[in-house]
Amino acid sequence: MRFFDCNACYGIFDVPPAQYAATPEELLAEMDWCGVDEALVTCAAQRADSPLVGNELVVAETKGHPRLHPAWVILPPQTGELGESVDAFLAAMRRAGVKALWAFPARNKYLLSATTFGPLFEALIERSIPLFLPLTEAVPGLSGHAAYHFGWQLIDTLLAQFPRLTLVAAEQHVWGEDRYFRPLVERYRNFYLDISTYEQGRGLEDFCRKYGPERLLFGTHYPEVPMGGPVLNVLNADIPEADKELIAGGNLARLLEEAKP
Amino acid sequence: MRNPSRLWQEYVEKGKAEGCPVVNSHAHYGPYQGIYFPGRGEAESMIKMMDRAGVVRAVCAAHAALVDPERGHAVMAEAIARYPGRLFGYWAVNPNFPQKIEAQLRAFEQAEGFLGFKFLSDYHRYPITGPNYAPALQYANERGLPVLMHTWGGSPYDGPALWAEVAEKYPRAKLLMGHSGYGQWDLALEMARKYDNIYLELTAAYHANGIIERMVREVGSHKVLYGEDLPWFDPQYAIGCVLCAHISDEDRHNILHRNAERIFGWT
Repeated sequence: MRFFDCNACYGIFDVPPAQYAATPEELLAEMDWCGVDEALVTCAAQRADSPLVGNELVVAETKGHPRLHPAWVILPPQTGELGESVDAFLAAMRRAGVKALWAFPARNKYLLSATTFGPLFEALIERSIPLFLPLTEAVPGLSGHAAYHFGWQLIDTLLAQFPRLTLVAAEQHVWGEDRYFRPLVERYRNFYLDISTYEQGRGLEDFCRKYGPERLLFGTHYPEVPMGGPVLNVLNADIPEADKELIAGGNLARLLEEAKP
Repeated sequence: MRNPSRLWQEYVEKGKAEGCPVVNSHAHYGPYQGIYFPGRGEAESMIKMMDRAGVVRAVCAAHAALVDPERGHAVMAEAIARYPGRLFGYWAVNPNFPQKIEAQLRAFEQAEGFLGFKFLSDYHRYPITGPNYAPALQYANERGLPVLMHTWGGSPYDGPALWAEVAEKYPRAKLLMGHSGYGQWDLALEMARKYDNIYLELTAAYHANGIIERMVREVGSHKVLYGEDLPWFDPQYAIGCVLCAHISDEDRHNILHRNAERIFGWT
């Protein structure tokens, strides 16, 4: 089975987990240890330092590592920090081989809305570029269940504005949040779930029986989470092998193939 | 390098491992307010997950018992009777009804399949050092019983800072630190290192990368117990975190079953 991680990160964090990969090489070593073949990656600098620094670093540092696929972090186009225009930003993505984006509105302090991102998100829809949004990123300073609650609310609001956007809800709370995400799955066909922290007992089995495997993306949320948990969760789920193949990597591979910056 | 663990390889190939009869020291039972459980979180669903993951025994506190012990213990007793040798119970103590505790301890003596006590102090908003827990702790101390206490880092009710007092006062009670004082790792590990009767329990803690390695390195795998809050969290996920940790298979055996077998008297 080919495991293609949708959510791995390497680099030096301001507050590091007890164990982490400082470099892409160390990340690859941990992937080998746990049987993960490829990964869509961000680097710590994109999260803990600045997207301006991190977006450049992740491309430069993953060059020469074909198993690692860099993703970028967005900022409001109006400040021009990531390019003079939406078109310029997309052209830079093309040149860098970047096919997926992350948004951290709480830590980067902006509104993830049509007002801020209308033209960019219309372009993402047109070009089938997936946007990853961590659930805790709706409101600065919030933690615990409140943070996740507002995260789901933000996704609901955002998808109402951009129903065709390929949006991946990332890093959900480990308490199964089916009551939050199932209505979104039913309404929005381009809505996906990073299941790195979806620990729900029999969750994959129950979800797939009702909705099929197409909306689920294997992820590890490394280095916060050890990779072996998410790997065995998919590998030994009580679902058909074909479903496992899609969740483990097929769905993400398809999304990235379809993305045309 | 691929993980050379024989246990990891067996789980990758078969979903369980021969010779590793996993014991879940921290389970629950039945529906709960804040989460959707496939199969209502009841016996058939739990046994199915256990069977698929090589979990042979689970010691459970019914969710209902954490609210209303009499009702919850009856629910748990029925499940234990249906799956003898597979499901066991913790006798939940709600400290907000102190007038009922003595009678509940007498009832515990008559109950089949209940192996120790469960405190959920954060939720009950009552400290583990408070007098309303004393009868149960004294009872456990006199008999060397396990007491699984929910903990969370920084909690004024059950954070690791409160554990020294309980461990010193009740040295024969086996105090299982549920969630290992999640987040307040330094102090939790210090407590388990310092006190013979404090054990680290892994529920949720297993997904904090590198913590299992720290526990084994700084405390020893003989003080770490496997648990995953079944039916909350899938055993495959939790066991995967233990199996991919950078520790030995001997350590993994200790964590996944040997320590629990010793503590619960199954050796």
